[in-house]
Formats: sequence, C-alpha cells, structure tokens
Amino acid sequence: MAEGEGLVLEGFLCPICKVDFGSAPKLLSHFEKEHNEDKDVIQAFKDFFDKAKNKILKNEMGSGVDSEVQTSRKVLGYSPSLYKPQPLGAVRSHMSYFNTVRSHHLEHYTVETNKLLIRLDKILKNLPSDPLKRKSHEQQVVPWVDEKMVRLCPSCSRSFHLARRKHHCRLCGFVMCNDCSYSLDLDVARKMTSPVSQVQAASEFHGSTSLQQLKRSNSNSSLNSVMSLVEGVHQKLDLGLRVCKECLHLLECREALRESRAARPILLQFYERLRSYMQDASQFLPTYITMCNSLSYGESTYQLKEAQALWAKLLRLAENIDSLSKKILVLGSADTENPPRGRALQLQQQIRAAATAFLRDEMLGLPSLPTEAKYLEMQEQRRQELKARIQEEEMEAQAAMQLQKQRKERNQDRSVHDERANAHQDTVLLDSGWTPEKARLFSSDDPMVQQMNNLKHYIKEAKLAQRVDEVEALERNLQELQEEYWRQQERKRQAAED
Amino acid sequence: MTGSAKKGLSSLLSKWRSDRKYTTFDFNPVATFSPFKMNCISAVKMYITKMTDESGPGMKVLLMDKETTSVVSMVYGQSEIQQREVYLFERIDAGNQEPMKHLKCIAFLRPTKENIHSLAMELRRPRYGSYYIYFSNITPKADIKTLAEADEQEVVREIQEFYGDFLAMGPHLFSLGIPISYQSSGWDHDILTRCVQGVTSVLLSLQKNPFIRYQNNSKMAKRLAETIRQVLSKESELFEFRQSGSPPLLLILDRRDDPVTPLLNQWTYQAMVHELLTINNNRVSLAHVPGVSKELKEVVLSAEQDEFYASNLYLNFGEIGQTIKELMDEFQKRSKSNRKLESIQDMKNFVEAYPQFKKMSGTVSKHVVLVGELASLMERYNLLEVSETEQELSCQEAHSQHLQHIRRLLANEKVRHEDAAKLVMLYALRYENHSSNDTGGLIESLKRKGVSDRLVKMVRTVVEYGGAHARQSDLFGHQDAVVQVTKRFFKDLRGVENVYTQHKPLLVETLEDLAKGRMKETSFPFLGNNSNVATKRSQDIIVFIIGGATYQEALSVHQINQTPSLGIRVILGGTTIHNSTTFLNEVDAASTRSRVQNL
Ligand SMILES: [Zn+2]
Ligand SMILES: [Zn+2]
Ligand SMILES: [Zn+2]
Repeated sequence: MAEGEGLVLEGFLCPICKVDFGSAPKLLSHFEKEHNEDKDVIQAFKDFFDKAKNKILKNEMGSGVDSEVQTSRKVLGYSPSLYKPQPLGAVRSHMSYFNTVRSHHLEHYTVETNKLLIRLDKILKNLPSDPLKRKSHEQQVVPWVDEKMVRLCPSCSRSFHLARRKHHCRLCGFVMCNDCSYSLDLDVARKMTSPVSQVQAASEFHGSTSLQQLKRSNSNSSLNSVMSLVEGVHQKLDLGLRVCKECLHLLECREALRESRAARPILLQFYERLRSYMQDASQFLPTYITMCNSLSYGESTYQLKEAQALWAKLLRLAENIDSLSKKILVLGSADTENPPRGRALQLQQQIRAAATAFLRDEMLGLPSLPTEAKYLEMQEQRRQELKARIQEEEMEAQAAMQLQKQRKERNQDRSVHDERANAHQDTVLLDSGWTPEKARLFSSDDPMVQQMNNLKHYIKEAKLAQRVDEVEALERNLQELQEEYWRQQERKRQAAED
Repeated sequence: MTGSAKKGLSSLLSKWRSDRKYTTFDFNPVATFSPFKMNCISAVKMYITKMTDESGPGMKVLLMDKETTSVVSMVYGQSEIQQREVYLFERIDAGNQEPMKHLKCIAFLRPTKENIHSLAMELRRPRYGSYYIYFSNITPKADIKTLAEADEQEVVREIQEFYGDFLAMGPHLFSLGIPISYQSSGWDHDILTRCVQGVTSVLLSLQKNPFIRYQNNSKMAKRLAETIRQVLSKESELFEFRQSGSPPLLLILDRRDDPVTPLLNQWTYQAMVHELLTINNNRVSLAHVPGVSKELKEVVLSAEQDEFYASNLYLNFGEIGQTIKELMDEFQKRSKSNRKLESIQDMKNFVEAYPQFKKMSGTVSKHVVLVGELASLMERYNLLEVSETEQELSCQEAHSQHLQHIRRLLANEKVRHEDAAKLVMLYALRYENHSSNDTGGLIESLKRKGVSDRLVKMVRTVVEYGGAHARQSDLFGHQDAVVQVTKRFFKDLRGVENVYTQHKPLLVETLEDLAKGRMKETSFPFLGNNSNVATKRSQDIIVFIIGGATYQEALSVHQINQTPSLGIRVILGGTTIHNSTTFLNEVDAASTRSRVQNL
C-alpha cells in the first residue's frame, strides 16, 4: 500500500468482488444487496463509509472556506449528526427506603386482617342457627369486651342509653351502637374465607387457601364501597354477622384487591392479542425486507416461495391488527344504554389510532416481491453480469500487474521526491474510498463467514458452469450456514445487551 | 398553496433581494460536524423513554402536573408516545376520574408539596393497577415516607428521581418557563428555588458537576450561584460523575447586562416567528390570520417532529422564503409532469398513494402560511426600515444621524406604536450619558403619536432596568480597543455583514472571552476559592441567564458550537425565552415604580 500511489484512489471498489461501482451510494447498496449475509462486515463497511463521507464532506467545505469567504453560507439547523448519543442522565431510586417504610407501616394491617379472617373462618364453621347457641359460639371464638367499661360509642361518641343499646362486633369483640354497626352477609363472609381457587376458577395466583395468602389492606377506603358489600345495613342483623366499621373495612379492602387482581376485562384480552400481532409483525418485517431486496436483485439466497409465505403471513397480521383494533374501537358500543364514554372511550380510540399509525408507518408501502417470471429474468441477468464481471476482473488484474511494473521502474528514478509524495499520499489515503487492501481488514476471521464466502464462490462457479444440481445443493448448504450464522449473531447480540 | 399566497411571497422575496443594502448573509462557516454529547432534548427524552420501558408492556396512562406536561410535550409527540403504549394523559390537579385498574400509571411530577399531597391521596384510593412514580427533582425523604405510608394497597412499583425539570427548547437551549423573575428587592424565594431546581436538574440530566462563575455586578446572579453550590455540596453523591477532560463550567448571567438584544426585531426564522407571532411551548397561534384553514389555526413548531423546521429555523427570512418558493415550484413541476392529476379525485388518489408526499406537503403548507403572515406584518409595519435603524442604534455611535432617523420613523404612519417606543428605548439606552441626549424630546413625540402611557413610561423604566448603572459590560462598545478586536474577529468569521443582522448579542463576546481565557475574574468571579481552576479551560459550558434568554442568543450559541476554533460547547438556558413583548412585561414588573403602583 505504501508505494501504491496509483492503486489507492481507484474508486469505489467492493471489498469482496472488487468491482468498481463509481459512487459511494451505489457501492453501499450493492454491498447490502450482494453481501448481506454478513452483518459484521456490513456494519464495519457502513461505519467506514460514514467516516469517509464525513471526511469528504469536511474536505469540500474546508476548501470552500479558503476560496469563497465572501459568499453567503446558510446556518444548518438541527441535525442528528451534530449530536453523539449521550448516556442517560443521573437517576436516583427511593424504592428501597419506600419499601422499608411501607412494609413497616403495613405489617399492622396484614396481621390484623389475617386475624380477622381466621376468626371469621372459625365462626362460620359449624355456626348454630339457634340465636342463643350462635351467640355463645361467636363469643367462644371472639371474647366480648366488658360493656360496662364503655360509656360512649367509640365510633360516633354518643352515649348509650335504653334507646341506644350496646352491641358487640363479632370479629374484634368491641362495643358500638346500632347505628355504627354493619351486617356482614354470611354468604359474602363465606366467599371471603374460601380459597380463591374456588371463587375464581381461572384465577392465576394465590395457590392455596386465602388464609395463608392474605393481602394487606387499606384503612381509608370510602364508606360507599364498604356499603356495597353489606346487605341490609341495620336490618336483618340476625341473618348477618354484626361487625364494626374498622373490621369490615379491613375485610372489604382485601376483597377489593382480590377482585381487581383477578378481573380481566375483555378489552385487556383484546389488547394483549393486538400487541402480540404487532410484535410478530415487527419481528418479521426486517427479514421480509431483506428477502425481498435479495430476490429482486435476482439472488438465490432465499426461495421465492418462502418469501411469498412470509408476505402472506405479514398480510394476515396486518389484517388482524386492523380488524382487532377496530373491534377495540367499538367495544361496548352495542350497549346503547351504557356505551363507553369519557376516558374509557378515549382509551379505545387511542389504541385504534396507535394501531393505524403502526400499520401506516410500518406495513404500508412495503416492497413487493417479483413475480415468478420476473425473478427468473432477474436471475438470468445477474448471471450475465457475473460473467461480465469476472472477465473484467481478469483484465483489471492484468492491467494492475502492468501498472505495478511501470511504477517500480518509475520509483527508481524518483527517489528524491519520495518524502513529499508520501506525505501527500497519507492524506489521500484518509479521504479515499475503497481499496482492496483495506477491505481485507473486514473480511472476517469467523470461520463461518469464510466458509460462506467460499460457498458463494463455488455457487458462482457452478452456476457459470450450468451445473444445476450442484448449485442447488450448494445453495441449500449456504442457506443452512446462513441460518446458523444468524442465530449465532443473535445470541451474541443478546449476550452483549445483557 | 393558493396562488395569491405564492404571489405575495415572490414579491416579498424580490423586495428582500433587491434591497440595495442587502449584501450577503453573515454566518460562521459550518466547517466540521464534530458531534457533541450535551443535548437537552435527548436528555429529557431518554428519561421519558426509560419510564415507559420500566413499566413493561401494557396500557399506560401518564399522570403529570402542569409543568411536567410541558416538559414532556417539548420532546415527545403524541403519536410517538402512543407507540410506547401510553394512551391517556392526565393532570394530577384535574380531579379524580373513574378507576381503570387495567392501566399502569406512570406518574411524572415535580416534587411540590401539592403534588405529594395529591399523589398520597391517589395512592390511598388507587385508580390504576400499578404506579411507577418519577419525580423531576430531588425529593425529600419525608415526602417519600408520606407516600410509602399512603401506599397501603402496595400499588407502587417504582419511585425514582428523573431530572427532567426544565423545558428542552432545543438541543442546546432550555427554559424554565418563568415569565417574570425579578422583584425590586431581588429574588422571590419561590422563583429562586425553581431556578435552583431547574439548573441543577439540567446539570444532573447531562451528568455535569461544574465550577460556577457569575456576573459580578448582579446580586441575584451571586445568590443563585451560591444556592446552586449548596445543592451541589449537599448532594455531592448525586453529582459524582466520571468526568473526562476539563471540568464543565456553569456561567450565571443577568439579563440587565444586555437589555438591547430582546428589544430588536429579528430576521431568522425561529426568532422572527417568536418576535412577531410568539412561540409558546412550541405552539404558534394563527387564529387571527384571515382565511386560515381550521387545522392551521394553531401550528406546532417542533424541530423534533418537523424536519423542514429543524433544517430551516436558523435561516434568514430571505433564505427561508427562497426555500419555500423552490419547494412550491418543485410541487408544481411534479404535478404538471404527472398528467394524470387532472381532477381533484386524481390529486386525492395521488396523495393517498404517497403518504410521504402528503406528510411533506402538509408541513410545507404550514410554513407557507407562517412565512406569508410574517411577510405581511413586515410589509404592513415597515419593519425593514425600523429594523435597519434598530441595528444602527445597537452597533454604531452616530447621535445626530440616529436622532434624525428615529424622528423620521416616529412620523411614519405605518410604524407600530411598540416599534416606535422600542426605538426610543434603544436610543435612551445608547445615549444615556450623551451630552445632547434628547430622550425627553422623543418621549414627547411618542405622546404626540398617540402611544399608550404604559409604553411611553417604559422608556424610562427600561433605562432604570438596564441602564449604565445596571451593567458591567461595555454593551455599546465605548471602549474602542476591545470592540476593534471583537469586530475583527467577527469579520474573520463571518465575512460581509448584513444591515439587518449586524447586531451580535453581548453573550457572543462573553463566550469568546471565556473560550480564549480572557474572561476577567473581576467581572465573572469563580465561586469559592477556586482560583486554581481558572487556569483550566472548560470545554462544556452551561450558561443561565436570569431574566430570560432570546432565540437570537440561541442562534449565536448554535454558531459558537459549530466554530471548532473556539473549542467550547455551550448550552444556553434562561428563566424564559423572551421576545420584546414578554421582555417589556418583565421589565415593567421588575421596576420599583410599578411595584409601588401595584401596592
Ligand atoms: Zn461485491
Ligand atoms: Zn355509634
Ligand atoms: Zn370490630
């Protein structure tokens, strides 16, 4: 390379097939189409390409400064090229402190709720129907507070008298007035103590009985929601279990939590399916585009049938995304009495809008596959091109050899200028496009890549020799190798990400 | 794109081009693209992206306060954030709505007392399935405790500090959205606190632990610098960054040192739109423009989402007009060559078939309307002539000539009252101590012209705000030697000047001095005994202007960042981004007189 003044700036040569493409973009697109199985090489190539582009641009603008100081220059606006990716800014987590405070604070509620549920369970077991027997059964489980000790209702602070009699909470044993007590329906109570698995067949959590799997609860929930669990407040107390506000609240909170965790509105089910379609689509898209490009170039890396199948798959996914998001949009609107409105409606609209945007941005305007006939035509054309190229290469090689010979001769009588020539040449090197020598740096050490390149070479030869069977076998081979290579790269990438 | 709009545009262009004084435009050569790693927009955007990542898959609602709503809207478009599964947006102060347990809630809030209170209430009665809480600034432990005790249903999954506590107006520009920061006596406590939070969050989001310098004659600058220093020391753990190279610098300035820049008419696209139409959180109202279509009543100008705007926001008016004209010609050429496009249906089909084209023509029509409106304002109010005199006033010393020009303009019917008053203000500032100063006479002329009392009084108020007593720099270049050096430097950088853009903000000189190690410690002292630091030159510089920055200064900083020979990378911030109207409001509020009147 050091002596190759003439060789260096020869143009935009492909490092693998050594063909001059005349311009950088053409070379890049050739490279992507032709040598697309080797991601590493492409990346290295692209990086270098960008660098070279910057250099060239910079050079052009730099020379402009010298010669045209007087002309106006526009100020560039924002462009991503001006900014390097930066690391995420500082962050600080309070989660561990938060957890400490929360668990300390919640321990009380958990213990209390557990206690209540154990008592409830005991009361409900073998509950006598006879009022008197029932009362003693209840007292056996939860001893009652001595009512003489209590002068005012702890809840409403009013004094007790004949018309406002004292009552006991069956769960904590404390005293309150009738107005401040609630009746817990026995059926509801049974539901509370029953294992979750019996209440919700499809429930995906809480393996064993609820008594061992208590959730902590809330202390301040609204009374309205409390009421919802209580039937016939202040009436038919004998049918239900008399409890105080606090005890009921603890139970109610746990119940609400249990229900909300188990609830899976239909919207959620639709939505999850929609997202999985979208994910599938984004996963297949790059593969399809690669295949499509390769095929329209007449390559035989991929099978046309295979690509058609993928295309059909993508179409189906697009249809599914469209129809499912439409379904989400109109979800519940058939219920004319109570159609979704407000934020629920807005949510459905936004999901549909996001799906439409996804279809528009990702799936519309996908390149289409060549027809069978067109593909065959392309293949033939490519074969011809390859032939021509090989001839050209041979001629070039001859020419290069001659050039080298000439240069050697010249160098002998030009040794005086060497120093200057070298200095100049260094800068040229930096700015120039591609040289075969440089390119070798990128031909990977990976034995797999080498093997694939060899195979490609064999295929080329086999094709030129019209040995169809051999070509097919080789291509199958190459394809298997490529697939394995992709898998390897994917694993590497994932490992790097972790 | 109507024919008349186009016609108006071309006549305007010819006017701008044929103006005899128009030479060439004066900008730094953009010689290299050396990318740099301080980008305000990315900093905030990465935080928001991280939030949506951490909450995992599922439908999400974003719970924000008034300020974080603006913070997010500056960096993320709605459709963009939708693709990250955020479908609903909710204000924490909007009052409770129905529960939606199947949604995940991302709460991005400033750690204010009110927000902590509202959030604690929310957690006690959670409407969403789970909560991912992100405070935009340093949050006291006591507040975390309050929330932890409120989370009795264990719905909180994350609680973190993500320091996006500022409005990212551009990659190198931020604002704190504080329209008025002065009080006659100095800082208002709340505003000082907000400034400290804003600036420290910028530092944290960019991972910078800087040395601090401040404008020596400004007590407010000193106070802010000291308070920021306190936070840096108190939270030293948080500010432990691996900093390679020279240490970054935070430079705190006071708007009073340069009251001229915000008073001038502007000729670069972004600055001009802000001056004449006002940009508010990236939005511009065009509702007053006659015949404007419904979807253009309010337009969004976001360099993040509008490629055309991003690449043209720093072009001058002549250039932007030219660009748009070219685009329209291209449009016509294309539609002509395509013979199929004869009926409206054909056009529709065409646009439908090329969503890309639809997108492009959509944004362009927005800019056509904007530029058309700017052109008509410019024509109607004689802004070219006004601007020329403004520029002379800000750059040259020629008393009798200036007086004559101003008098002539005051007599011109087309000149707006505010422009007339601003001319007199600029005169009063430049010739404050001139022996034949005739501010009084000009004020009388303003009155005769029928200019409002408020505006007339503002002439004196502006001098009170930013007159010689309030400045430490040589704003008008009375010390010739320095000016000569600067001028020459600029000549080298810019080539020939344009009459409408001769003026360079004082900030440019300040930053150059800094870059060249010429900034005097007497004028901009280091905080604390950091004189040994003075020898080290900072490459990364964050400038914060109390009393607001301007888009003209943002452009200057953009140019400085692209001048490799200076070797500095600057981020500019201010309490707000002013145009002349908002600036005068602030000056008015800062004045002692108006304070007394208000009492
Ligand atoms: Zn090749
Ligand atoms: Zn009571
Ligand atoms: Zn009780």
